[in-house]
Amino acid sequence: MRSYLSLVPISAKVHRRQNRMTLLCIIFAVFMVTAVFSMAEMGMRMEQARLMEKHGNLSFLDLIGSAMGQSLLGIAVVLFLLILLAGVLMISSSINSSVAQRTKFFGMMRCIGMSRQQIIRFVRLEALNWCKAAIPIGLAGGVVITWGLCAVLRFLVGKEFSTIPLFGVSLFGIICGIFVGIITVLIAASSPAKRASKVSPVTAVSGNAEDKKTIHHSASGRFVRIETALGIHHAVSSKKNLILMTGSFALSIILFLSFSVMIRFVNYLMPQSAAASDLDISSGNSSKAISADLIEKIQAMPGVKVVYGRRSDFDVSAVWQGKTSYSDSLDLISYDDFDLKCLKTDGVLKSGSDLSKVYGDSRYVLATSDQDSPWKIGDHIQIGEESLEIAGLLKYDPFSSNGLTEGKMTLITSSETFVRLTGTTEYSLVMIQLTSDATDENVRAIQLAVGDEYSFHDQREQRTAGTYAAFVFCVYSFLAIIALVTVLNIINSLSMSVSARIKQYGAMRAVGMDERQLIKMIAVEAFTYAFWGCAAGVIVGLPLNKWLYEILITEHFPYALWHLPLTSLIVILLMVFFAAASAVYGPAKRIRSMAVTAAINEL
Amino acid sequence: MNLLEVHQLCKTYGSGDNAVKALKNVSFSVPKGEYVAIVGESGSGKSTLLNMIGALDTPTSGKVMIDGKNIFSMNDRKLTLFRRRNIGFIFQAFNLVPELTVEQNIIFPLLLDYQKPNRKYLEELLAVLNLKERRNHLPSQLSGGQQQRVAIGRALITRPSLILADEPTGNLDSQNSREVIALLKESSKKYEQTIIMITHNRSIAQAADRVLQVSDGVLSDFGRCRE
Repeated sequence: MRSYLSLVPISAKVHRRQNRMTLLCIIFAVFMVTAVFSMAEMGMRMEQARLMEKHGNLSFLDLIGSAMGQSLLGIAVVLFLLILLAGVLMISSSINSSVAQRTKFFGMMRCIGMSRQQIIRFVRLEALNWCKAAIPIGLAGGVVITWGLCAVLRFLVGKEFSTIPLFGVSLFGIICGIFVGIITVLIAASSPAKRASKVSPVTAVSGNAEDKKTIHHSASGRFVRIETALGIHHAVSSKKNLILMTGSFALSIILFLSFSVMIRFVNYLMPQSAAASDLDISSGNSSKAISADLIEKIQAMPGVKVVYGRRSDFDVSAVWQGKTSYSDSLDLISYDDFDLKCLKTDGVLKSGSDLSKVYGDSRYVLATSDQDSPWKIGDHIQIGEESLEIAGLLKYDPFSSNGLTEGKMTLITSSETFVRLTGTTEYSLVMIQLTSDATDENVRAIQLAVGDEYSFHDQREQRTAGTYAAFVFCVYSFLAIIALVTVLNIINSLSMSVSARIKQYGAMRAVGMDERQLIKMIAVEAFTYAFWGCAAGVIVGLPLNKWLYEILITEHFPYALWHLPLTSLIVILLMVFFAAASAVYGPAKRIRSMAVTAAINEL
Repeated sequence: MNLLEVHQLCKTYGSGDNAVKALKNVSFSVPKGEYVAIVGESGSGKSTLLNMIGALDTPTSGKVMIDGKNIFSMNDRKLTLFRRRNIGFIFQAFNLVPELTVEQNIIFPLLLDYQKPNRKYLEELLAVLNLKERRNHLPSQLSGGQQQRVAIGRALITRPSLILADEPTGNLDSQNSREVIALLKESSKKYEQTIIMITHNRSIAQAADRVLQVSDGVLSDFGRCRE
């Protein structure tokens, strides 16, 4: 041994099991930052290649200055800060517990002459020692996952991603990964290091000395059972620990609520309708409408999955609820059964709508709407001699550019109702969905069958399903990693908390606490953290969710209104419950196999 | 009538060449209300014996009967309940629950049983232990002697028939040691409780009704001190 610091790797070897989770936290932080920045650089390189092809000369700096470069960098920086914060919270709570557990060790070190400064140096070096193993693993993981994601984008999504580099290594991503690893650990270790340096040498020789500083209030067992009271007290007695645990739970919830807005945003940006067509045939500029025979003809052609059409009649005179002042004309559009069914599949109908009434020759219709439209389900509309009832409302107006009705009602009827009302049997728009194995020859054959009298649009290139899937995959992967890190952190912290109190638990067992009561006590501790984490996460996360929704979605899609994200909240509650329950599992197993005498005699 | 009967108790740690025989065929019995001191060198097997009697550890072979019941024939849940209601423990390091007040620590075994304490008995205990003024203090606010008195209160609250004390005066000065022993003896007499105590203190051992010595896992009975 050259100096007292040579103890660091020896101690790391002895405490390998306890340090495993802390290592995982560092690995995840480094991995995520490397992956995020590497992906951002790969995206930029792809954009650079595309622009070079288009404009000729373009430097990397020009690209960073471009709008796309700025937005990619912006997203990466925000993610970097969030990961840094998550990493600091999680690693800090790990180191904190590890220091609390070794109070006697630090007391003994002080006893035999280690100065406060040396203790601080010891704890910091111990934390940095973890980086030695964690950073290379995190970097390797980050680079490999970047390759994997690039391959998925290039080969599975294709199209705009077909030029993304396959085995690119981002130096920028690697530097950021190393930086985040070291900085996170140094920030996280600073407070526990100071705490360790304050341990009094007397702690090494006295029995209950370490409890003096932390416990100021007794656990109240007046209203709840003693094991519940003690569990709550264990969770809330150390403010710092409570803040760290609550913070890491809350941060995950905040990230979850923020990222769920991103998914909603993409839903609005690239709506994935079940009725999205691959080929469109419209009457175009010619006044000639499309005959129903053409639909039957195309339906029988190879490569065709489904053909459906829409008829339209604009500015039809109508009276709504006896009032003509609000809107004296409306648009009438017919949907085939497949199209109507897709409205329900896509979830564009407001609650209370009854689509089943609209099918076939009926007196029921659907109407477009927005937050300002006064008509509602059950209202009657008079068209000529016919009185129609609104059986359902669409959440927005799919026929306007901004989704708002601007006071103009559009009625959607079934094909049969439309023919009865207008007498028109011919279509203004025919849409075709192709089978997955449809070839270009199949498409050319359809185009030939349509002829030149109608406009033919090949929409296959416009479909965004691949990009949408890639984006949603990335967001969910990020969320899954965040959730995983939270779960691991809670498991780790609770396990350390149990280790720190194992002697106390042994004494409790000796004086008559049974296994069930002991496990309940630990479960209550875990669920107390989970409760406060949920409360803090929801209190901060919901306004953030609303704010992000308004600036990202409502600003661009005025018909989209923020609602309480109930599904996200339920998912969060389930995730938190799962995290807390899995955190209890390990300690419960340990307690079941705990020898009471060994626990009492443990130093 | 014997409250405690120990038959051919053996405890071996490890196996093969590394096997260490901590207890070798220990047998003895203790009648109700007797105050027994166990003496012996460090590592002689005293604590192992006490842990076996208290069902904190399981023997390699042999039987421990308390009040006619073979404690090792019970499952863990029954054993825990038996320990909670019939055996009081006093440790050298006090082992109080740091989050609970003096009063809560004393009634802790009752709280584990979801029972309300008998207020009269609790007040009596607090008075005998001289802890009335300190009932709402936390263990960290007490001296070592006071903490050990709380531990004694915890051991007495369920009125157990057997009290096991592992060097209860090990962390106390001579004045506090005398007080703690006096308390234990008084309680033993008053409530007809059997006390088995490990001690290194010769004068404390001499004050016991009977002294047992453990040496290299073998028990010798020094007989009744007053005889």
